[in-house]
Amino acid sequence: MKIENTKAQMRKGVLEFCILSVLQHGDAYTSEILAQLKDAKMLVVEGTIYPLLTRLKNAGLLSYRWEESTSGPPRKYYALTETGRLFLAELNTTWEDLIAAVNLVTKNNKSKTTQ
Amino acid sequence: MNKTININLGGNFFHIDEQAYYVLKKYLDAVRSSLSDDPKGRDEILSDIELRIGELLSEKVKDVRQVVNENDINEIIEIMGKPEDYMVDDEVFADDYSRERSRPKKMYRDSEDKFLGGVSSGMAYYFNIDVIWIRIIWLIAAFGFGFGFIVYIILWILLPEANTTAEKLEMRGEAVNISNIEKKIREELGTASDKIKNGITDVSEKVKNADYQKYSSKAKSGMQDFLDVLGQIISTLFMIFGKFIGILLIIISVVVVLGLIISLFTVGSLGFLNEDWFFQNTMIYNNSGLPLWIASIIVFLLVGIPFFMLFLLGMKILSPSAKVMGKTGKLSLFGIWLVALLISIFFGVQQAMQSAYDGSSVENKEYLADQLSDTLHIKLVDNIKYSENFDLKRRWNNTLIVDENNKEKIYSNNVYLDIHPSNNDKALVKVRKKSFGKSREAARENAASIDYITELSGQDLILNGYFLTDLKSKYRKQRVYVDLYLPEGEIIYLDGSTSSFLYDVKNTKNIYDGDMGKHYYKMTEDGLDCLDCEDVVVSDKLDEDPESFNMKIDEDGVHIKVVNDKNEKAEVKVDENGVKVESSKDSVKININHD
Repeated sequence: MKIENTKAQMRKGVLEFCILSVLQHGDAYTSEILAQLKDAKMLVVEGTIYPLLTRLKNAGLLSYRWEESTSGPPRKYYALTETGRLFLAELNTTWEDLIAAVNLVTKNNKSKTTQ
Repeated sequence: MNKTININLGGNFFHIDEQAYYVLKKYLDAVRSSLSDDPKGRDEILSDIELRIGELLSEKVKDVRQVVNENDINEIIEIMGKPEDYMVDDEVFADDYSRERSRPKKMYRDSEDKFLGGVSSGMAYYFNIDVIWIRIIWLIAAFGFGFGFIVYIILWILLPEANTTAEKLEMRGEAVNISNIEKKIREELGTASDKIKNGITDVSEKVKNADYQKYSSKAKSGMQDFLDVLGQIISTLFMIFGKFIGILLIIISVVVVLGLIISLFTVGSLGFLNEDWFFQNTMIYNNSGLPLWIASIIVFLLVGIPFFMLFLLGMKILSPSAKVMGKTGKLSLFGIWLVALLISIFFGVQQAMQSAYDGSSVENKEYLADQLSDTLHIKLVDNIKYSENFDLKRRWNNTLIVDENNKEKIYSNNVYLDIHPSNNDKALVKVRKKSFGKSREAARENAASIDYITELSGQDLILNGYFLTDLKSKYRKQRVYVDLYLPEGEIIYLDGSTSSFLYDVKNTKNIYDGDMGKHYYKMTEDGLDCLDCEDVVVSDKLDEDPESFNMKIDEDGVHIKVVNDKNEKAEVKVDENGVKVESSKDSVKININHD
């Protein structure tokens, strides 16, 4: 078992949640989503996001439209669908619960080891 | 100095140097391969990726005339990530390491190295031996046994073709990871460029000596075309043929399984009926202690499961994509089948053990010469109450009957009668009853329990043409041998009823057992001598020496001529001229003519 794999898996697990969160304040095209995620160090390489976007779109959580750009070819803008919003709300609660749970477990055990 | 190539990447136009082009192409191919699970989404994802790469490149390239080089591409690959990073399947939490390890080999058809359908090369990868051996085996199977061809065709239909790089790697049993995919793609690129090179040299060669080469290359490509077309025709024909086989398999298996289900319930219900043939036979033959209903379920499973599998195979042939049954389902069915097989082997051995030893029980009855009448009539009698057949014959039959005391018995006609000369002036009726059993002791007991009676009554020696056995000793190859020892000179008459019971009876005229009935015989030193058989019995010597013995019987009459060593002749001739008897030794001459 490699540490890199575990780390990557941890990140991949919440990446979909992050993509949806980025889109909740307004539509964005791929590069914008990428920029936000990379700033937050959620993403190391860009490649990971493409299959995820397609999967979310195929699941009906996202929709997209083409928009002309002043510099270069048209851009693909993604937007949250109604299902996507519900999904995101659900994930938000789950995430809160998860943080609380993980914190509880790790803190308890940390304090035990220091004792 | 490098050539440049113009490309369109996601709507952006670039000059790219040849080296960089190949790096980018290889990268995109590798990404494509790592996304091979979902062909529809793959194209969409790829176009998104191209769009993004185009965007990133256009940030680097400020001037339209600037050429994209290998470094630019490498930087972009750095940003985008390795092809592995695109793999987001549902197994993200599975351990990558173990997944690589446990990836099994899969059998595909290799369309790159094919003679007909590529089955052999696929099998060669699967079994990891050189393809030529597989081809030789196919040839032997096709010409030697015939069915090999059909098996090949079925495999051709069933095995998928290895199309994507991932499938090709699976075929070779290599893990589908990026380094392997890259390696494979490089190989393919290599062969492709080789082909192009060859093509170019071919063309230039052709131009050089066009006339000379024209015919041979035409013949070559004609042959190739012919083979390809032949392959296509055969594959379509056998697609149809395969579907037909599929339908046939489904029909056969459905009929068999339905039949089995019906008989399973019928056998179960008929267990209550005493008269039933099947029930009777299991009562008689089943020594293993296995209850009937379990036996029928086991037979049902043993036969039914393979046919059910055939049914699945038929479904698979008809629609290859249909997921008819999961792997676990198939495996557990196979497990059940194995258990049924083991149980049946166990009880089969039990059954065989019950008849492991042969044993016999002997009863002798002696009669003094004056007890016997001048002509002893030998008869076999049946018991009409028990017999199912009108004629009394030796048979390998076993019928369940109920005797006067309301006991269940097995009725059988397996009686053998032999007649020998006795070495004194007494007559002896020796009855040997034989049976098998699980031990010598048990076999002897089973033999002794056979119910068989002989009786001398007046001038008749009456032998039973049947015997009865207790049902509890079951069928264990019970049989009765009756040996009749008669003093020499005793005259007997074999009743017609004896015919089928006589077994290898020695007689002076070598008459077959079946023809011996309804005749009078005298017991001699050499066995029975027929007194009233009018058959012409031809001496064995006939063939040995045609000079000394000559006999001819045809439409002209009868002519027999004998010559001995001293050249003495004897001749009998009966023809249209009359009767002529001649012997040279004492000059006997009888001549009866028409006149």
